[in-house]
Amino acid sequence: MGDFKVTTFEENEAITNRLLETGAKVGADAWQFRVKNQTPHCKFGEQGVCCRICSMGPCRITPKAPRGICGCDAHGIVGRNFLRFTAGGAATHSDHGREICNTLYHAKPEGPYKVKDPEKLIRIAKEWDVETEGKDIYDLAHEMAVLAMGEYGKVFGYQRWLKRAPKHTQELWEKAEIAPRAIDREVSCAMHMTHMGNSSKPEALVRQSLRSGLSDGWGGSMAGTEFSDVLFGTPKPVDTEANLGVMVAENVNIVVHGHDPSLSEMICEYADDPEMIAYAKEMGAKGITVSGVCCTSNEVAMRRGIPMAGNFLQQENVVLTGACEAIVVDVQCIFPALGPLSKCFHTKFITTSPIAQMPDSEFIRFEAETAAENAKAIVKAACENFKNRKPELVYIPDVKQKATVGYSVEAIVKTLDGVTNSQVDETGTTKPLLECITSGVIRGAVAMVGCNNPKVRSDLYHVELMKKLIANDIVIIASGCSAQAAAKAGLMDKRAKDICGAGLKRVCELADIPPVLHMGSCVDISRMMILASELAKDSGLNISQLPVVGCAPEWMSEKAVSIGNYVVATGIDTYLGVDPYVSGSSEVAGLLTDGVRDWVEAAYTVELDLEKLGDKMIERIEEKRAAIGI
Amino acid sequence: MATLFDVVFSGNDTVFGLTEGAIDAAIKEHGEDKAIAFPNTAYSLPCYYAVTGTKVGNLGELKAALGVVKTLMTREKRLNDVFMSGVATALCAEFIEALKYIDGAAPYAEPCYGHLADAIIRELGVPLVTGDIPGVAVIIGAAPTAQEGVDLVKSYQAQGILVTLVGGIIDQCAELGYKTGANVRVIPLGADITAVIHVVSVAVRAALIFGNVAPGDAAALMEYTFKRVPAFVNAFAPLDPVIVACGAGAIALGFPVVTNDVDTLAAVHANVPKSLIGQADVSKFNATSLEARDIKIKITNIDIPVAFASAFEGEIIRRGDMQVEFDGSRVDCFELVMTKDASEIEDHKIEVIGPDIDEMPEGSKQSIAYIVEVAGKSMQSDFEPVFERKFHSYLNCVEGMMHTGQRDMIRIRVSKDTFNAGFRAKHIGEVLYAKVKSEFAAVVDKCQVKIITDAAQCTELRHNLATPMFDKRDERLLTLTDEGVDVYYSCIMCQAFSPSHVCVVTPERLGLCGAVSWLDAKATNELDPEGPCQVITKEKVIDERIGEYEDVNDAVRKFSQGALEDVSLYSIIEKPMTSCGCFECICGIEPLSNGVCIANREYAGMTPIGMTFPELASMTGGGVQTPGFMGHGKHFIASKKFMKAEGGVGRIVWMPKDLKEQVADRLNATAKDLYGIENFCDMIADETIAEDPETLLAYLEEKGHPALTMEPMM
Repeated sequence: MGDFKVTTFEENEAITNRLLETGAKVGADAWQFRVKNQTPHCKFGEQGVCCRICSMGPCRITPKAPRGICGCDAHGIVGRNFLRFTAGGAATHSDHGREICNTLYHAKPEGPYKVKDPEKLIRIAKEWDVETEGKDIYDLAHEMAVLAMGEYGKVFGYQRWLKRAPKHTQELWEKAEIAPRAIDREVSCAMHMTHMGNSSKPEALVRQSLRSGLSDGWGGSMAGTEFSDVLFGTPKPVDTEANLGVMVAENVNIVVHGHDPSLSEMICEYADDPEMIAYAKEMGAKGITVSGVCCTSNEVAMRRGIPMAGNFLQQENVVLTGACEAIVVDVQCIFPALGPLSKCFHTKFITTSPIAQMPDSEFIRFEAETAAENAKAIVKAACENFKNRKPELVYIPDVKQKATVGYSVEAIVKTLDGVTNSQVDETGTTKPLLECITSGVIRGAVAMVGCNNPKVRSDLYHVELMKKLIANDIVIIASGCSAQAAAKAGLMDKRAKDICGAGLKRVCELADIPPVLHMGSCVDISRMMILASELAKDSGLNISQLPVVGCAPEWMSEKAVSIGNYVVATGIDTYLGVDPYVSGSSEVAGLLTDGVRDWVEAAYTVELDLEKLGDKMIERIEEKRAAIGI
Repeated sequence: MATLFDVVFSGNDTVFGLTEGAIDAAIKEHGEDKAIAFPNTAYSLPCYYAVTGTKVGNLGELKAALGVVKTLMTREKRLNDVFMSGVATALCAEFIEALKYIDGAAPYAEPCYGHLADAIIRELGVPLVTGDIPGVAVIIGAAPTAQEGVDLVKSYQAQGILVTLVGGIIDQCAELGYKTGANVRVIPLGADITAVIHVVSVAVRAALIFGNVAPGDAAALMEYTFKRVPAFVNAFAPLDPVIVACGAGAIALGFPVVTNDVDTLAAVHANVPKSLIGQADVSKFNATSLEARDIKIKITNIDIPVAFASAFEGEIIRRGDMQVEFDGSRVDCFELVMTKDASEIEDHKIEVIGPDIDEMPEGSKQSIAYIVEVAGKSMQSDFEPVFERKFHSYLNCVEGMMHTGQRDMIRIRVSKDTFNAGFRAKHIGEVLYAKVKSEFAAVVDKCQVKIITDAAQCTELRHNLATPMFDKRDERLLTLTDEGVDVYYSCIMCQAFSPSHVCVVTPERLGLCGAVSWLDAKATNELDPEGPCQVITKEKVIDERIGEYEDVNDAVRKFSQGALEDVSLYSIIEKPMTSCGCFECICGIEPLSNGVCIANREYAGMTPIGMTFPELASMTGGGVQTPGFMGHGKHFIASKKFMKAEGGVGRIVWMPKDLKEQVADRLNATAKDLYGIENFCDMIADETIAEDPETLLAYLEEKGHPALTMEPMM
């Protein structure tokens, strides 16, 4: 067992408090204070019953005023808001995916962007019936990029990748009329349906929410994941570290933050460049440390083993260490607060995307064509900033955990191959995992995903749920900020097997894996859909019959709702620890937590109590086991 | 529909019921105070003791123990419950088997062994760590046909794997006249499924003996067996719930189960990767099992017409089965390694000088001499005897060949079967060539073998070539003292089993297993400088008297991963060297006589200390320092460094007769040198003289034993 110990919530909180003391010295603001200022939140907003879609309002529903000016009731308003929320998330993920396709289109043999996994590109091309024989890999890349971008506006038909789902799932989608068409169309359609004077029928709004979600998970997000792998390599197990202690006091610290790996990949490339390291030394540092926050961090951790400084609600903490020379951001989940905060320190806050432009930041516009020069300029600027550090403000907490990350579906299958017996088994399938599940050695799997949310004590739900589940022989696949919470706690250290139940512990030992498998960023939840599909195909069961559930206990963004919709629509029961602003409508809530089960064989459960949330998932998994006689 | 969990739970319940009934019946017959124990073990009842830390000595305690077992039988739907129910099933099996031994009964008759003695486990230690025994197979039930069963047993045996048999497979071996027995590493345990506990008990005791696992620490026990005991189970169809429950126990300990009962497995969705594997084809059991347990077989291709495996090392060829015998005690024989210049050697040349085996009368006694000539840039003449000592093992590994002795006192028998298979004199050369080349590849570039069966030449070469060489080596050995060399060697070969033990090997103190002398360690280091034997300097003396060095302490600390702080080379009281558990001998203080008693592994009787070898041995081992007890090699007994800090070999007051005879010449010489005493061994008592301290003291007083006048040890 050695010296392995899970980092507790209290330890992390003490560190944050210590950093806030530094903040107080320099007059910095922090989310902890802003939450106080915003509390209590608007009740109408929380229940989803406030409508400001046209300028006759805003209207809000109360017992005395049950309808808006146009006559829309609470169910219509909540349903519209829910659909718009979903569309926002689907648009965001999908546009990220589009950027990746664009980067693929600019890939060249001489770089800076290259095709690092040509086999995967060929595999996808064959799936899409694109001729690969005798074709230059870059010609193929450009052809595929154009085809992929075409998926966003395709005139007819459905998303190409739906065919990856089991037949039964495809049939459900067709029957429920939620098979997604062009990605952009589903977002537009959502906006159209929710415009003043259109849909107010909850069922129609929820159906489009699912369809819009599916256009993300089985369209835009999947493009983001798959073509990121083609460009930057398909993740395989790699060792890294997590939590603020990964920053190195004597080095130039560059923190990458956001979601799109195109930028961070280049930053990592140049931070490793001997010329840049020499430059950092010239500036008085010992070297350059790149670490990450949020899903950009997940991307580079999975592919390069770049350490993870923290997740969503730790983004201000990295600046508060006083040792961050530059926080370089791309898109999504970036606090505008970083601008003013960086001014309290020597930190450079560098924005790079036209999508995410913020006051008090230095904007270095990052383009695929000029990526190399852009990245070099950013690394150089960070090095030059080292001398501006205020040593009296520097405090890097001595806390970090080891983590083994990089479990793409391909890597999971390869890991499973390792426990097959060549005398009896075939390789390249998920069957060893299925055998562990059907025999009862592992009870099931939970996909832990999603953000941090100050409504929930940050990371506490993620970590406590995971601890409970693994102690009950339930394996965890994790992504996004949930994955980082696990890594910071130590749950992605292989030694975490010792806090698992006997079954999962044995599986971890035999397969040499941690009990919580890092599958990537939030876009990479598409990987989980593929894994679920493979498990269903290899077992002959429907996805909804597998003892597998999803959980987003601390979710906060529109993307998370989009994800939730496609996970549920794929047949996986999904558990939320934060209410999705639908409590104002019994009909919408009823559909989401029960009604949609008739269409897609799965539904949402909202449970705000930590203990009950865990119990309910375990209960559901056991129900599913009993139903198929295992 | 029943699940795997249901099956295990029901099998466990069945066995528990049977056990309860058996214990109650026994109590009714004998009363609660009736003693129960397995013979020749210090750990009774071994499995229950290891799991709970409580020893069971009589039926009343056994009944209480059954109550504890019941608490393991929880019924949640988690693998832990299945594992614990498996363990509970195993413990019940142990209880049922223990009842068979009431009143010193011998419940097992030829060919079955039943309970296996501690000494057997200690003997297995070295071959298991060196990989000579790469695994342990447990075969349960009857194969579809006797031939398939025997073929499976034979396939493991040919790989050196220790095979244990339970149930129908034993009859199948007997039916086809297949030889079984500990000496050929095929051990039939018993007909009942409960007999499987006797091999489980071996694994469990290995954890206690070598792994320093604290009795009662079930988690550490399971970790040890899972990581370090390369055992696996082959269970033949049909599987019943009791066998499945036993299987759960095996899997809990980390031993995968392979079965041909694929239908039963499929019906309860019981396939589990690397743990519970259905294999319909029995001929593939071997490959499936080895892969499941990650056992790699070292393959040396030797061009001989019979099998070559460590399993045959203990095989005995009786006179009636013998084709021919080479006997160094009657005619001139010898074996010799000589270093030559590379230009003098033609690699792989094998020359037979004199008549071949087929020209010798059946059953006759013949001369033989074989000279293995080697050359290599890193070859040193010090390595010659190291290679030579290995010939015993190499030739014994040949199926149907028996080799004893060394130098010019060798005796070799070749069986009729082996001869009939086509084995001839040149094949001895093939074996020696292949093994020397493969095992000493780092120092031997070229090798050729001369096999001389011409009696006159054997005589001539023995006197003019071999004897002068042996004399020269003896001279060299005499100059090899701890003071005379600059470095010692560490040996951590055992760490696969005993993770914190380190031997410090010096010229006058060989490894406690008896298998690694300073020269062996030196050669091992030469072959692999990063390997198990590393150089330890001895420049910084802390205390000359007890043989403590800063450098040695540093090395021990490093190689034991900090488990051991400091160690003395020459004291049994102050910071004594630790043991792994596979020591040849153990010595312990006998307070009344102010001396020590030594017992060797083969000795089964009582010592004046009041403990048998297994009991003495259980006092130390697992890399733990136990002042007053020390494991050591036989050769160390006659060393001038033996207990030097406490006054030397003069402290030895008692040894088993057999052991005394083995070491007498050298020990007498040492005593004469140290104290001027002639025939010191006559002053040392043995089991024919005393088995209790008072009789021992009287004998020592009568003989004027030097220990009586030495300073008090404690």
